Amino acid sequence: MQEFLEFALGGLAVGMIYAAIGLSLVLIWRGTRILNYSQGGMAMFTTYVALIVINHTGNYWEGFGAALAAGLLLGAVLERVVIRPIENKPPLNAVIVTIGLLIFLEGLAGIIYGGQFRSFPPAFSIVGLSVGHTALGISRTDLFTAAAVLTAALLLAALFRFTAVGLRLRATAFAPNVARLLGVRIGRVLTLGWALAGLIGALAGVLVTPSTFLYPNSMDSIFVLGFTAAVIGGLESPVGAIVGGLVLGVVLNLAGGYLGSDLVPMFGLAALMLVLMVRPSGLFSTTAVRQV
Amino acid sequence: MSDAAALVVEDVVAGYGGAPVLDGVSILIKPATITAVLGANGAGKTTLLRTITGLVRPRQGRIMIDGTNLTRRPPEAVARAGVAHVPEGQGVITELTVEENLRLGALLRTGRTGRASRTAALAESYQRFPVLAERRQQAAGTLSGGERQILVIARALMAKPRVLLLDEPSLGLAPRIVAQVMELVRQLRDDSGLTVLLVEQNARSALSIADRGVVLNLGKVVAESAAAELLTDVGLRRHYLGF
Repeated sequence: MQEFLEFALGGLAVGMIYAAIGLSLVLIWRGTRILNYSQGGMAMFTTYVALIVINHTGNYWEGFGAALAAGLLLGAVLERVVIRPIENKPPLNAVIVTIGLLIFLEGLAGIIYGGQFRSFPPAFSIVGLSVGHTALGISRTDLFTAAAVLTAALLLAALFRFTAVGLRLRATAFAPNVARLLGVRIGRVLTLGWALAGLIGALAGVLVTPSTFLYPNSMDSIFVLGFTAAVIGGLESPVGAIVGGLVLGVVLNLAGGYLGSDLVPMFGLAALMLVLMVRPSGLFSTTAVRQV
Repeated sequence: MSDAAALVVEDVVAGYGGAPVLDGVSILIKPATITAVLGANGAGKTTLLRTITGLVRPRQGRIMIDGTNLTRRPPEAVARAGVAHVPEGQGVITELTVEENLRLGALLRTGRTGRASRTAALAESYQRFPVLAERRQQAAGTLSGGERQILVIARALMAKPRVLLLDEPSLGLAPRIVAQVMELVRQLRDDSGLTVLLVEQNARSALSIADRGVVLNLGKVVAESAAAELLTDVGLRRHYLGF
């Protein structure tokens, strides 16, 4: 029972990371109908930025802030420069371009920072917490991770629901030509969408890298699991991405805990295959399946 | 002011690749008038509206609104210049609520008094169209065809446009509702001095409220005169308008 609790809670903690990556994928998918294969690469890159700032100033939170700012900037620049020209082209172009972007970012990181594994500090202590005599299997850092991702998701939801900017984002995602006829500058809106996705991805990066160490490919497997979380949720639904992430995190942690942690990547892919076979439109989707 | 053209389309050639759909179209629209754009399917009526608002780039020709050259500007810019376009198929954003659709239309009212102006515009819309007030929090996708048409016209009016382009507003609507919509358009010209370009296949109901009519055929203007004259020209009616 103790074990189960530890695995489950630990699964929720790591599930938050998958949820965050899933959320940024949903943001970009809904805004531009593009699946951003470079999402993990962007998060990796902004985590390097954080590490440089932390090493320079000795202050974790300045690094944290720098990563978030870099995420905003990177997302905006990439949309404007790389993605804008292909937004109205066939979907295959976007697949090739975003994969190419991933390779570019990983290569660039390798050139600038080298391929060695670097350690990255957690936000708080990673000592497991206990309630009475029961070890919970999660730490202060895990609680911070959950709080940070949930806060980001709630702020995003509030932005979409209650602000004029959010209304423009939603209108551009649902009906871009109608939005243009109403005077919405959809170019700027799409740049903002990518900037927000970059921000959330950067958040996921700094939260997960303490466990994975930082190297150019460090976000690759996280990306796959984040993508799985988004697919479980239906790719259209931010709530779905979060629930998908949490479910995936718990299931994988339980499986990894009881059956062996080397099997986790395999279980992740198995989960993705299962969802695509049984309910490809996702748990929360109301629309038809799409080819991705 | 009274004689200046609200909208000028000059020798416009436009299409979607291959042979042009509009093949040298020139139209001059005076302010505070309703002009019906008529003709058979494929004559170029919808393409004309889409070219005016920038969804289609003309290969040749000019488009001027109130003296400003808007040729080849993107739709966002044309909308901001005071042209509202209600597209074919209405363009209701079904995933948003009625109120969100309306608020979207008002976003062009910016500036220091922007928020107050937007709130006032919303209240005005609800007063003028009570059916929208009743359904304000419903998803726009749950509205009937006639209600959606009212919604998109109300949404287009939120930004206080000077020119309104309506593409087939009667499509799919029962005759009684069509009459209501046409009456609404007539009122808008009378009360607000709005300039309206009305594309319609239902030539009879369009001409019943229009001041002038333009008939397109195969991308060219084949007739242009006062609406009353078009109604009495039996040959023209039979040949191009089907009645």
